[in-house]
Amino acid sequence: MEILPQVLLDGIMLGAVYIIIAIAFSLVYGVMHVIDFAVGEWIMLGAFTGFHLTQWTKVDPFLLLPLVFLIFGGLGYLIQPLLQRVISGHKGNPLLMGLVFTFGLSLMFRGLAQTFFGFYSHSIPSRFSTGSFFFEKGSFFLTVSTVRLAGLVYAAIITGVLHYLLKHSDFGLGVRALAQHKEAAGLMGVNNKRTSAYVYAIYTGTSAMTGVLIGTILSVSAKMGPEYTIFAFFVVVLAGMGYLAGVPAAALLLGVIQSVFLVYLDPGYTLLAVFALLYVILLVSPTGLFRKGV
Amino acid sequence: MTEPILKVEGLSKVFGGLTAVNDVSFELAKGEILGLIGPNGAGKTTLFNVISGYYAPTRGRIIFQGKDVSGKPPYALAHRGLGRTFQVVKPFAGLSVLENVIIASFLKHPRRAQAEVQAWRVLELTGLADRANLPAASLTLAGRKRLEIGKALALEPSFLLLDEVVAGLNPTETDRTMELILNLRASGISILIVEHIMRVIMGISDRLVVLNFGQKIAEGAPRDVARNPSVVQAYLGKEQE
Amino acid sequence: MAPVHKDKRLLGALVVFAAMLGVPLAMHDTFFLRVLTEAIMWIGLALSFDVLAGYTGYLNFGHSAFFGIGAYATSLLMMKAHWPFPLAVLAGAMAAAVAALVIGMPTLRLRGAYFAIATWALARAIQQFALVSSFTGGPDGMRLTAYLNPQYFYYVMLAVTASTFFGLWFLLERAPFGLKLKAVREDQESAKALGLNPTKLKIQAMVLSAIPTALLGGVFAYWVTFIDPGSTLGDLVSDQALVMVVFGGMGTLVGPVVGAVLIFAFKTLFWAYLSAYEVLYIIILGAVIALSVVFLPDGALGMVFRRRKAPEADLETPAGHAPEFPNEEEA
Repeated sequence: MEILPQVLLDGIMLGAVYIIIAIAFSLVYGVMHVIDFAVGEWIMLGAFTGFHLTQWTKVDPFLLLPLVFLIFGGLGYLIQPLLQRVISGHKGNPLLMGLVFTFGLSLMFRGLAQTFFGFYSHSIPSRFSTGSFFFEKGSFFLTVSTVRLAGLVYAAIITGVLHYLLKHSDFGLGVRALAQHKEAAGLMGVNNKRTSAYVYAIYTGTSAMTGVLIGTILSVSAKMGPEYTIFAFFVVVLAGMGYLAGVPAAALLLGVIQSVFLVYLDPGYTLLAVFALLYVILLVSPTGLFRKGV
Repeated sequence: MTEPILKVEGLSKVFGGLTAVNDVSFELAKGEILGLIGPNGAGKTTLFNVISGYYAPTRGRIIFQGKDVSGKPPYALAHRGLGRTFQVVKPFAGLSVLENVIIASFLKHPRRAQAEVQAWRVLELTGLADRANLPAASLTLAGRKRLEIGKALALEPSFLLLDEVVAGLNPTETDRTMELILNLRASGISILIVEHIMRVIMGISDRLVVLNFGQKIAEGAPRDVARNPSVVQAYLGKEQE
Repeated sequence: MAPVHKDKRLLGALVVFAAMLGVPLAMHDTFFLRVLTEAIMWIGLALSFDVLAGYTGYLNFGHSAFFGIGAYATSLLMMKAHWPFPLAVLAGAMAAAVAALVIGMPTLRLRGAYFAIATWALARAIQQFALVSSFTGGPDGMRLTAYLNPQYFYYVMLAVTASTFFGLWFLLERAPFGLKLKAVREDQESAKALGLNPTKLKIQAMVLSAIPTALLGGVFAYWVTFIDPGSTLGDLVSDQALVMVVFGGMGTLVGPVVGAVLIFAFKTLFWAYLSAYEVLYIIILGAVIALSVVFLPDGALGMVFRRRKAPEADLETPAGHAPEFPNEEEA
C-alpha cells in the first residue's frame, strides 16, 4: 500500500500522454465522423521512426518530435483525400466504409512494420530516460521519473497548442464549425476538404509524436498497434465521443489502470481488463461516463 | 359524437434542462385535417416525434384510436395504423424507388408478390411509376417527398402525420401535393400536418393548433386563428400594434 | 420478380453446384481436392459474413468467434463426450446461435461504428480467454481423431456451403427478410416508421450469420484434426472474410462468392510461392481492403455489372444529408 501513491502518480503521468491521443482521435471523429481503426498503428509507426531516427542521427528523441510530426502529418495529408472520397461517396454506409478503409490501413501498416522493423521490442533511449526527481516528506516519498515528467510537459504543451488552435485561430473556428454543421460551414466559406485534410494531418502527426513518447516511456514493438487502438477507443468512448472535456478524466483513468496492473497484477491481463471494461461501457452507457457523447 | 382518432392529453417533453413541449392537449376527429403551426423552435417536430413514438412523453398521454399508446415504439404504432413522413426526407438511398415502397407494403401484405402489387398502386397514385426501378438516391427533392408520402401510404394508415411535405417544392408541385392530401382525406385518412407555408396550411386544414415555446397558444378554425392577437404576436414579435 | 423456375441466376447457380458435385469423380488429385474444399469453406464464410455486413450494414469483427465456437464445440463433444460427428457439428451450430443471441442483444442496439469496436474488442477478449483456459487446451489447442477421407470432407463442406448459398438466396433475395434488412441498413429510423423492428431484425441476421459459420468451423475441426485459438479464433478468419466481401461486392450473394474465390486463389498462390514473405500477406490484404473501399464501392462485381447509371441528381440540399436522428432508444 505504500507504493500506491507512486503507482497512481505513474499512472496519471502516463495518462497525460493518452489525453493527446484521445483529443486528436476525437477531432477526426468530430470533423469527419470517422472512427480511425488505425490510430494505434500511427502511434506505432511514429515510435519506430523515432527509434530509428535517434539511432541514426544520435539526436535525442525529444528533439526529433517536430520532425516526426512533419513526416507523419505529411503522410496523413496525402492519404486523407482517399478517406474523404470514401466518406463522401458510397450509397450505403459511408462512415462505416471509412472505418473499413482505416482498418485496411491498419493491416497494411502492421505488415509494413513487421517487414521493415522486425519482430522485436525496443525502448527508445533518451537523455531523460534515466534520472528522476525524488520527493520526500516524512515517510511519504515519491519518485518522479524525468522521462514521464517530460511526457507530462509534452502533453501540456500539445494540449495548449491544440486548444489555442481550436479556440483562437481562424482555422480552429473553421474546424469547430465543420464539426457542428457541415453544410452551414461550407456555405460560410469553410473549405471542407482542405480543413479536413489538415485536421487529419494534425491527427496523424500528433499520434506519431505521441508514439515516440510512448517509445521512450514504455517500449515499441510492431505488434503494439492494436493495443493502443483499444486504449484510444477506451478513452474516447469513456469520455464520450466528441466530448473533449471528458477526455482528461478518462485518459488518466486508463493510465492508472495500466499502472495498477503493471505493479499489482499481471500486465498481460491489462488488455483483457480494458477490453472487458470497454465492452461493458458500450453496453451500459455508450455516450460515455458523463453521458455527453454523440 | 364519435371518438376522436387522436387525443393528446397534457403532453410534456423535457430534455434535460429544456422543455420542448409543455402541457399540450388537443383532439383530432376522424377524417379531419388538423394543422400544427408555430414559429421555429416552437416544438412542433418534437411533438410529432412523441406522437409517432420516437420519444416517450415526460408527462401526459397519447390516446390513439381509443387506446393509450404513450411510449410505444414507432413500429408498434405503424402496425396500429399510424404513418408519418419526415421533415428531412429519409429514402432508402441504396435501394430502388419500387423497393422502397415494397418494404412499406410488407406491413399489410407480408408476401412479396402482393406487396409488389400494392407498391405499384402507390407509385401510380404518387406519380412515381415511371421511376420505379431507379435508385431512390437519383430522385429530385420533389420526387423524394412524394416517395416519402408514398411509403407512408403503403402502410394503409388510418392516420397520417405529415411533416413539412411541401417545403422546398415549387408552386406546381405544391398544388399537386395539396390535391393529394385532400384526396387522402376524402378516402378516410385523418391527417395531422405541420407546415410553414401559410397558403398551404390555411388552405387545407379544417382546424389549426398553434404552438409557441412548446405551449399551445391557440386552437380553432384557420380564419379565427389567423386573427388571434397572441398568434400574430408569436410570429411577428412584440412590436405589433 | 421472376418466378423460381425462370430465375436465370438461380439456374446458373444450380448448374455450378451440379458441376461441383462431379469434381471428385473426375479429379483424383487429393491435394487439389483439399484446396477446393478450403475454397468452398471460404465461400461459405464470406456468404455468412455478408448477411450482417452487406445486407444489414453491421461489421462483426468478432465473426471468427462463431467459427471458433463451432470448431471447439465439435472437438470437445467428439473427443470428450464421444458424440458422432454430425451431431457434434449441429450442436456447435446451436451453441453459436445462442452465442449470437447473447452477444447480439446488447451490442446490436449500438450504432454501426460502436458495434464494430465492441465486437472487435470482444473477439480479442475471447481469443485471449481461450489462450489461458486449460479446458480448451490453451495455446496448444486440441487434437481430434483423424479421419482421412478427402472426398468425404469435400462433399460435407460443399453441402454446408451450398445449403448456405441456396438458403440465403431464398431468405435474402426472395423472401421479404432481405429487403427488410436492407431497410435497416439504409435508414433505421425510417424503417421503424414503416413497422420494422430494427433490433429484432439485426439479431435475426446475426444468428443467421452465426449458424453456417459454426457449421463450417465444426467441419473444419474434424477435417484438419487440430485446432487452436490462433487458427480458429484469431483475426484472420474475420479479416479475410471482410476482404472477400468488400472486394467481391457487399449486399449480394454472388459478390462474396466471387470475392472468396479470387482472394482465396490469391492466398493459395501467394503461400505456394511467396511463403517466405509472410508479412507481405497482411500488407496486401490491408491494401486490398483499403483500395476496394475507395475504388470499388460496389466490389469487383459492381464494376462488372454496372447498374443503369441514372443521373445522380445530387441534391445535397440542406434536407439531403442531415446529421444522425436524435433517438432516445439507443445511444
